[in-house]
Amino acid sequence: MPRAGRSRAVRRTALCLAAVLGLTGTLATACGSSSSGSGGPVSIRFVWWGNADRAKATNDAVAAFEKANPSITVHTEYASYDAYFEKLATQVAGGASPDLIQLDRATLGEYQQKGVLLPLDSYIGKTLHTSGLSPLLLASGRISGSQYAIPGGQTTQMLVYDKTLWSRAGVTPPANGWTWAQFATMSEAVGKATGIPGSTDFGWAIDWFEVYLAEHGKHLYTSDGKLGFTADDLAAFWNLTATIRSADGLSKPTATTKMDGSTANSALVTKQAASEINYDSNLTGYLSSYNGGTLAEAPLPSDNATVSGLAAMPPVSFAVSKRSAHPDAAIKLLDFLTNDPGAGAILGTTRGMPPNLSIRASVCANATSSTKAVCSYEDSVKSIVGPSFGNWPTGSAAIKRDFQQIYDDVIFGRTSVSAAAARVVGDAQQTLSQP
Amino acid sequence: MTSPATLRAAGASDNEPGAANPSRGRRAGGRRPRSSRRRGEGRAAWLLLTPWTAGALLLTIGPAAVSLYLSFTDYNLFDPPHWIGLRNYTAMFTRDPRYWDAVRVTARYVVLVVPIKLALALAVALLLNRKRRGQGFYRSAFYAPSLLGASVAVALVWRALFSTGGTVDHLLSDIGIHTGGWIDQPQYALYTLVLLGAWQFGAPMVIFLAGLKQIPGDLYEAAAIDGAGPIRRFWSVTVPMLSPVLLFNLVLETIHAFQAFTGAFIVSSGRGGPGDSTLFYTLYLYQRGFTDFRMGYASAMAWVLLLALGALTLVLFGTARRWVFYAGQERA
Repeated sequence: MPRAGRSRAVRRTALCLAAVLGLTGTLATACGSSSSGSGGPVSIRFVWWGNADRAKATNDAVAAFEKANPSITVHTEYASYDAYFEKLATQVAGGASPDLIQLDRATLGEYQQKGVLLPLDSYIGKTLHTSGLSPLLLASGRISGSQYAIPGGQTTQMLVYDKTLWSRAGVTPPANGWTWAQFATMSEAVGKATGIPGSTDFGWAIDWFEVYLAEHGKHLYTSDGKLGFTADDLAAFWNLTATIRSADGLSKPTATTKMDGSTANSALVTKQAASEINYDSNLTGYLSSYNGGTLAEAPLPSDNATVSGLAAMPPVSFAVSKRSAHPDAAIKLLDFLTNDPGAGAILGTTRGMPPNLSIRASVCANATSSTKAVCSYEDSVKSIVGPSFGNWPTGSAAIKRDFQQIYDDVIFGRTSVSAAAARVVGDAQQTLSQP
Repeated sequence: MTSPATLRAAGASDNEPGAANPSRGRRAGGRRPRSSRRRGEGRAAWLLLTPWTAGALLLTIGPAAVSLYLSFTDYNLFDPPHWIGLRNYTAMFTRDPRYWDAVRVTARYVVLVVPIKLALALAVALLLNRKRRGQGFYRSAFYAPSLLGASVAVALVWRALFSTGGTVDHLLSDIGIHTGGWIDQPQYALYTLVLLGAWQFGAPMVIFLAGLKQIPGDLYEAAAIDGAGPIRRFWSVTVPMLSPVLLFNLVLETIHAFQAFTGAFIVSSGRGGPGDSTLFYTLYLYQRGFTDFRMGYASAMAWVLLLALGALTLVLFGTARRWVFYAGQERA
């Protein structure tokens, strides 16, 4: 009895296997034969990370695109940052890459290096128009001479501060050209006068260290992906925060350790600091979640009279997969999102300031109060903003995390600044030299 | 438990309860004559086991073997794995200070959580072993945290309770103790996780309870007649009679504690902070694999954990000869 059963089972398995193989074959042919030729209906996938506001605006813009291009169907997917990259890596590795992909500075270089992205040069000027984009910004999508990505927006570093608290301390509001020494005195004065430290301890983020380095003519990473700073540079930066912190000018360690750039965990929003450094794309978030005070914006201090340290950073960039079966359709969508005035109006500032300058002008002209604040800040620092700092190399995510973890040890007094700085540099060099 | 899949493979000990069965099966089979009929039965057994075998091969043994291979490679998901020999292992042991942070944090967690959890489980089991009304309710009530405890929701509640300005911070401030949020300070953060872990004592409690029911009442009667008080009865009757169950719980809970992940992941927002103070081994493994995309390194970490757990289990079983008492041994 078992024998008969088994042979039947075997036969069935073989049949199934054959069916599966046949199906795969059909799929493979289906995949292989589909060309990028125009005409027939095509469908593409577009993925990004972000919050619900961004998702709604993006889906609305995609709907407008589908209406204008009835032959193209766009499937959209979005997730939170970490989940997005876990999923994307798995899909790309499994050969099921989406067509239009949102990346950022920390990931663009890595995906380009892995040969995942399509060079866009042959499309630029024909189906993909970049002439309306800010040149400072567009440069961020160029890697080794080719354009691999189009910035999806622009953001710049800012200091957002509670005007009420700062004026109670009797300090003049900061303006272009102020120095770190002035920042220190003001923060300490605010701390003494109000009991709330003048600013969030900014030593936690490698992003603000990048600004500090730029003011000193250095970079986090060299263009060939090596470490661009020394332990002494980092020790100088962390000694600056240590000095202000010891005079109650910066937030307490328990507040600083929570920082992740979100307004939910912000020391400013939770009233544990009277100002905070962040990218201005978060300004609308601060304005909507901050209670009991008036917020204002200022550029970051600089000790360098000619370099402000501020940069036109793309919060996100869009790239097309090299494996895309319909690159023309994906490029068409990319062009629509970048240059179409209607799409620009729908997307607003959900990815920072629109990259296209004429769309930016019209979005700012029709802006509501919180978006207007971003526009007016960007306008006020327009003359001192430099080009994007460039893409981060593979391993930068681990280095960023290491930076923050070791800074925790510094602020909780578990290690010295010089030892911590040496460890960050050692760890980073090792991460960057990985096979 | 949301430990990474590779770790599941390490959970060979999950089958521990079945370990007593083979001897029984042998005895039952021994009565039958050795014949072709027995061989036929064996074949039927294999056939009936097919679904399980297929599952084990495809979902456990296969992936575990692949992960062993990957541990000798540099694999970032995009490029094909590239053989680098033992370099993941040497890097881990000699050039990665964070790895040792993770080992230290995990060891401290295990040493703290396992005894506390077992003591709590035993204490509650002793209380619930008495006959009284509403016993069923109490048992369920004490077991509930174990069902909830591994969930994301409870970890989120924990984060809200123990953060700066959270409930615990407020209550302590009201009575004049100003510690700030425990999860925001490296010297306390781990203890909140120990508390979270120990609170989920339901599973060992149920097993203790079953063990307590097995202890013959006449032993207690005899001890009482000899003049033994409740404490003496506990140490001289309950503990020795319960020692096999204690061993079982100890081994199982130690393994679970090494694999703890969810609490640390949620409470520290995936960072293992502040200052690496809650960087559990599995959390670091996850970061290496899924944030840094160094799958080879993560696989190597998983295999080191598996081997360490195996060795530790052997040691525990080795010491068992000294303190575990099997009632059957004496009678036989």
